[in-house]
Amino acid sequence: MCKSGWCFFVCLTFAVCPRLVADESADPLGLLSARCYSCHGPEKQSNGLRLDSQESLLQGGDSGPAIVPGKSSESLLITLVSGGDPDRVMPPKGDRLTEEQVAVLKAWIDAGAVWPETAGETPAPVASDHWAFATPVQPEAPAVANAAWPKNKIDCFILAKLEGQNLAPSPEADKATLIRRLHFDLIGLPPTPEEVDRFVADDTPGAYERLVNRLLGSPHFGERWGRFWLDLARYADSDGYEKDGVRPYAYRYRDWVIDALNRDMPYDQFVVEQLAGDLLPGADQDCLLATGFHRNTLTNREGGIDPEEDRDKQNVDRVNTTATVFLGLTMGCAQCHTHKYDPITQREYYSFYAFFNAAMEKDVPAPMPGEVLAYREAKQRFDGQVAELRKTVDEYRATLAQKLPEWEKGLTVPPEGWTVLDPVSYASSGGTEFSELEDHSLLAAGYLPPEDKYTIVVRSKELGLKTFRLQALTHESLAKKGPGRAQNGNFVLGEFTLYAAPMNDPNKMQQVKLVRPKADFEEPGKEIGLAVDGDTNSGWAIYREGNFNEDRYATFETDEAIGFPDGTVLTFVLDHRYGRGHNIGRVRLSASKLPADAIQFSDQVYAALKVSADQRTEEQKSALLDYFCNLDPTYRELSAPLDALLKAEPQPPKTMAQVLVRNPDPPKTFVHLRGDFLSKGDEVQAATPAVLPPMHARGATPDRLDLARWIVDPANPLTSRVYVNRIWQRLFGRGIVPTPDDFGTRCEPPSHPELLDWLATEAIARGWSTKDLIRLVVNSSTYRQSSVVRPDVLELDPENRLLARQNRYHVEAEVTRDAYLAASGLLYDVIGGPSVRPPQPAGIADLGYAGQVKWIDSPAPDKYRRGVYIFFQRTVPYPMLMAFDCPDANSATPRRNRSNTPLQALTLLNDPVFFECAQALGGRILREAPEDEAQRIRFAFRQCMGRAPSEEELARLQQFLTEQRHAFESDSALAASFANAHTPEEKDAPERAAYVALARVIMNLDEFTTRE
Amino acid sequence: MDPRLERILQSRREFLTTTASGLGGLALTSMLLQEGVLAHADEPLPKVENPLAPKAPHFAPKAKACIFIFMAGAPSQIDLFDPKPKLNELDGQPLPESMTENVRFAFIQKETAVIRGCHRTFTPYGQCGMELSDLLPHIGTCADDIALIRSMHTDAFNHHPGQLMMNTGVMTFGRPVMGAWINYGLGSESQNLPGYVVLSAGRGTTGGASNWSSGFLPSTYQGVLFRNQGDPVLHLSNPANLPHDCQRLGLDAIRDLNQMRYREPQDPEILSRVATYELAGRMQSEAPELFDFSQENADTLEAYGVNRSEGEKWKSLRSGGPDEFQTFASNCLLARRLVERGVRFINIYHATWDHHEDIDNRLPFNCMMCDQPIAALIKDLKQRGLLDSTMVVWGGEFGRTPLGENRAGFRKPNTGRDHHPFAFSMWMAGGGVKGGQVIGKTDDIGWDIVEDPIHVNDLHATMLHLFGIDHERLTYRYQGRDFRLTDVAGKVVNKLLA
Repeated sequence: MCKSGWCFFVCLTFAVCPRLVADESADPLGLLSARCYSCHGPEKQSNGLRLDSQESLLQGGDSGPAIVPGKSSESLLITLVSGGDPDRVMPPKGDRLTEEQVAVLKAWIDAGAVWPETAGETPAPVASDHWAFATPVQPEAPAVANAAWPKNKIDCFILAKLEGQNLAPSPEADKATLIRRLHFDLIGLPPTPEEVDRFVADDTPGAYERLVNRLLGSPHFGERWGRFWLDLARYADSDGYEKDGVRPYAYRYRDWVIDALNRDMPYDQFVVEQLAGDLLPGADQDCLLATGFHRNTLTNREGGIDPEEDRDKQNVDRVNTTATVFLGLTMGCAQCHTHKYDPITQREYYSFYAFFNAAMEKDVPAPMPGEVLAYREAKQRFDGQVAELRKTVDEYRATLAQKLPEWEKGLTVPPEGWTVLDPVSYASSGGTEFSELEDHSLLAAGYLPPEDKYTIVVRSKELGLKTFRLQALTHESLAKKGPGRAQNGNFVLGEFTLYAAPMNDPNKMQQVKLVRPKADFEEPGKEIGLAVDGDTNSGWAIYREGNFNEDRYATFETDEAIGFPDGTVLTFVLDHRYGRGHNIGRVRLSASKLPADAIQFSDQVYAALKVSADQRTEEQKSALLDYFCNLDPTYRELSAPLDALLKAEPQPPKTMAQVLVRNPDPPKTFVHLRGDFLSKGDEVQAATPAVLPPMHARGATPDRLDLARWIVDPANPLTSRVYVNRIWQRLFGRGIVPTPDDFGTRCEPPSHPELLDWLATEAIARGWSTKDLIRLVVNSSTYRQSSVVRPDVLELDPENRLLARQNRYHVEAEVTRDAYLAASGLLYDVIGGPSVRPPQPAGIADLGYAGQVKWIDSPAPDKYRRGVYIFFQRTVPYPMLMAFDCPDANSATPRRNRSNTPLQALTLLNDPVFFECAQALGGRILREAPEDEAQRIRFAFRQCMGRAPSEEELARLQQFLTEQRHAFESDSALAASFANAHTPEEKDAPERAAYVALARVIMNLDEFTTRE
Repeated sequence: MDPRLERILQSRREFLTTTASGLGGLALTSMLLQEGVLAHADEPLPKVENPLAPKAPHFAPKAKACIFIFMAGAPSQIDLFDPKPKLNELDGQPLPESMTENVRFAFIQKETAVIRGCHRTFTPYGQCGMELSDLLPHIGTCADDIALIRSMHTDAFNHHPGQLMMNTGVMTFGRPVMGAWINYGLGSESQNLPGYVVLSAGRGTTGGASNWSSGFLPSTYQGVLFRNQGDPVLHLSNPANLPHDCQRLGLDAIRDLNQMRYREPQDPEILSRVATYELAGRMQSEAPELFDFSQENADTLEAYGVNRSEGEKWKSLRSGGPDEFQTFASNCLLARRLVERGVRFINIYHATWDHHEDIDNRLPFNCMMCDQPIAALIKDLKQRGLLDSTMVVWGGEFGRTPLGENRAGFRKPNTGRDHHPFAFSMWMAGGGVKGGQVIGKTDDIGWDIVEDPIHVNDLHATMLHLFGIDHERLTYRYQGRDFRLTDVAGKVVNKLLA
């Protein structure tokens, strides 16, 4: 957020315009034109302000309207030109306006700021001659001299430029390199030696194209290209910021991305579903999952955070991400002030913001397809069984109902059982606020302290109280309806204590011993007895599998009757020490003079018996009949199986998804002055920037769906270019526009502008098929070139922008991991599902806030899953990923850094995860390769590089093996632990250890993790 | 051991004993020559850019290294640095509503909030007479080297945004921190150790690894956390306790094979990779020496209090484990050793100073832990002639309120203070900072600044200035914008300069 004055500094520069000088002292418009237009005119609108029409003067810029007609003293323009704000004097350079000139302007404004008709009422529309803001038109492919080289039109564009520099392209890479390149680029896994052999041996025409098709059809394609997309989507498995809570279902979005790419969902649909899937007609669960794109935004749950501030930050992130990812626009610059370089005003920024301000976050049930089916089947079976059992029970119940009046006649209603106690005062040690409900229960609300002690005081006139009842009741306002305040509705009552004192001498308070505790339900290990055992650390809880959120009660007796002649003050203390808000949410207390067992009727039955039959409510009738039925042994026998069955009702799948939906009551959107959400400027409506083609909204108020469709409209000059450029970048290591995040006026210019436009238009013509576009590029001769560095081109084109060769670079963090796992044979390559936590060094998770981050290593085989599935904890991300430049998931990352650090070397050499891969490969060498040493080395080398080692390389590796074996032979304990042998006595341990060391060396060679 | 192998290793060791400073000014190519990656000096030198190679500053620097002691959680300036006798007069009284109506608090409930007096005594220290709390007797003895700023202010009042602000100059996630910026701007003098090292004691900080992230800068510049358990640097030790000799065999093979490979694609990146592995190997051999305090004399160890512990009486106040005292003291000593070895930027973190409650016990505990080692560090640097070129900075992400904290749910309200971003204290010493002075003034109750306000961005601008960097010219283009540590603000504070 900007904090200083200077970011909304309205820079009117001094411009001398001789023609007007003579008139300016008398002519306010001449004055504006002469002094202000150069920064606030038709050409340039610094800080979103233009002063060349009445309309735009009234609308103003980032700081609000420039003038208030009739009130010069309230007009910002006057304040600034007269030096009323020392930080913002206009014009900022050159001479200040004279007092006379200011007076002219004042007079004009006070007279109503009338704009002469001749001076042009409507300002010219915003225009830009920046290439990226014009809709691309498909260019003709240029003619080339070497007509034999191009395999498709891409090559014509590349070759024409090379020929222009008298350069020849590089020869095609050898086949072993090509298959490895394609494997890394398309599925992110190295080929097996067998796959290499097969491809190298295949001389039939179309072998290369068939390989490409095979890889595009692989389910691993979605993992590889999905990971690229997740960089843009700032995907993570936790909230970020201090608390950094986990997002257990974030993976549903990740899996949606992988699946959409594997299905080759057209890019336009891919975009629309992610931005507005919820608004599509007939939106299904998949469309909703797609909106998880904008749920990857960080959430701050730190204490004292203003929720509105966080919501604003999230919207800002959504605007900036949308602009970066789909439009290649650095719109974020316009959050605090009009964009310094691109034609985007601050007002337009907030108009764009309005699309997202009308959305809200929602977590919806989103079962996995298998889960739904299983649930539906189980539920159907259950419903059938219930109906069948209930039929018999209900029939019998009906016959009993007829006998009820007769039974009632013979009934002597015993004295009232429970007297509900009316609290006279209550307090919480933790800051909970109570409200007393009509039934005298206390409902907890407000701040939820981790632990809490409730003190409830009642007065009683009764003598001979023997039994007390504590009810924990459900309520709509509680989490999962309660009855506890913990997230799942549970509570743990650590200790329940009762004190009694005579009303006339409350200081004579004495503890009352509570005995014979009973509860209607107890969680195993947290029985009711533990609530009166004198130990606050143990207690009573009510959790069970499934839905346990119902009213619960416990009763306690006293050995001696309680009650003082002049009344009694009873003080109940409910101590909750379990933590994390495991406190009772709604509590009611009752007392009785009867022993617990003698209290025959429930409150409802008493209530029913107190009134005549025709006065009873349905509830009371039912309660009474229930009671009566349960006296009947036949009924109990009949209903027992039903009761048992009902407790085992199948629960709907718990899997959820984070989605974005329309807010039925959206807040208004205002310009936020200086980007501060508390400083509201003008109200704005949802709209797209004027420099881009207009939006065709479906209704009066454009929504996210209109925005999404505007983005993928073929007329939008940015979307297709940004899209094809990114694909190009993934296949050459660098985009045609090297700044994939910025296509604005400050972008690095495209190396091949015509090719960019050709690809952009071609992509649309081909129906936005991502796989088709990738196929087109990788089938080109340009892509197939060797990546060997050419000294003849280095001088002329050090960055290889002309592509006289392919590029050569290290693979990304995840692919590095995947290559190790694949070559070692450990890789567990299932697709999708919850994220996994492979082993990481001890103590890493502790760096998270207050030890709240838990990292429990996933067991095998999950710990051998691909890098894309590693759980991403924002505050303490997986160290290996961060060491290898994985983005931190805080903002969209269209281009990763590629650094080269000693920490990377240490990770690959020594991280137990990678060492385990070397050990596994060492084992494979001995198991799978022939006994001959050279053959074994070749085997290991080929598993990693796909090619055989040269003689020189082989000799060096043999030398290493000898040296290493030698060292291990002299230290068998070392050898055994290095080889992960079971006992140090194992004879072949030094040999095995030497091959582990060999595998480790080969896996640490530059080539192993390089895509050539 | 095989005599042949012994010989090979011998020559290796000779190379490894080359000190960091000896290698400091050499270009990477000559290093590669020495390493045998390039056979002859007349071979065409490949263009290899070592991103950490020392770079020239914009103008002559005063500071070469910085030790930033970050007291995460926000220490109370009122109880340490900025005496406010008025608070004791007003103890228990509410503030006029006009003062708090537009103020947001993290936890304080305005309706019932009252002023909390300060239970500390302040004494003038040094020739300059700097008034400091009774909790800082050792730091007090360094007063004449210290520039105390009583007029810091920041934009953030929550921990994570505040820590990001203090480290990156803005409150948003994803930006590079100061240590990363300085390494990006100046490179590192050390060839054997990372240019930016993070030391931590106590609990994890709110910001976690984002406090030493390189953000959008390449990860080369990120802070390397020296850990207190297991390997001091992640994966520094070899698997299965493989001895260094054996590791060296592997490193040699890796170097030779990469070198062979280089001949084909001729990609200088391969040579960078070679250099990286060599640096990793040197880190492995250097680091144990770095952590070996046996060469330090007993007086030094005593001065830092490396073997102190908090004592039984204070045990209940621990928040960072039983070794907090030793770890913090060791980190201070380690910081000096890192500076000696050419490391550019060192963070010493300690959490937590977030004293919402029980400040009269917890703050003394923390001060007892840090006061002596920090003073020892300053004196040690000075005595070794390193203080002139080493900037020591002490501070947290913001300050604490003159109001007591009365958050709902507190058993003991008004025993602590809430977050206060509008006025707080920090101090600096060495590295071209003019010591023995107090900069800035706050009002009678320490609520607002009345003289010389210094924003976090100003602090950063000044720090960069002392490193010879113009903060407006140290930029990195990302997503179409030239980013700076000082974002869009920052003025060099001339009063701080010697």
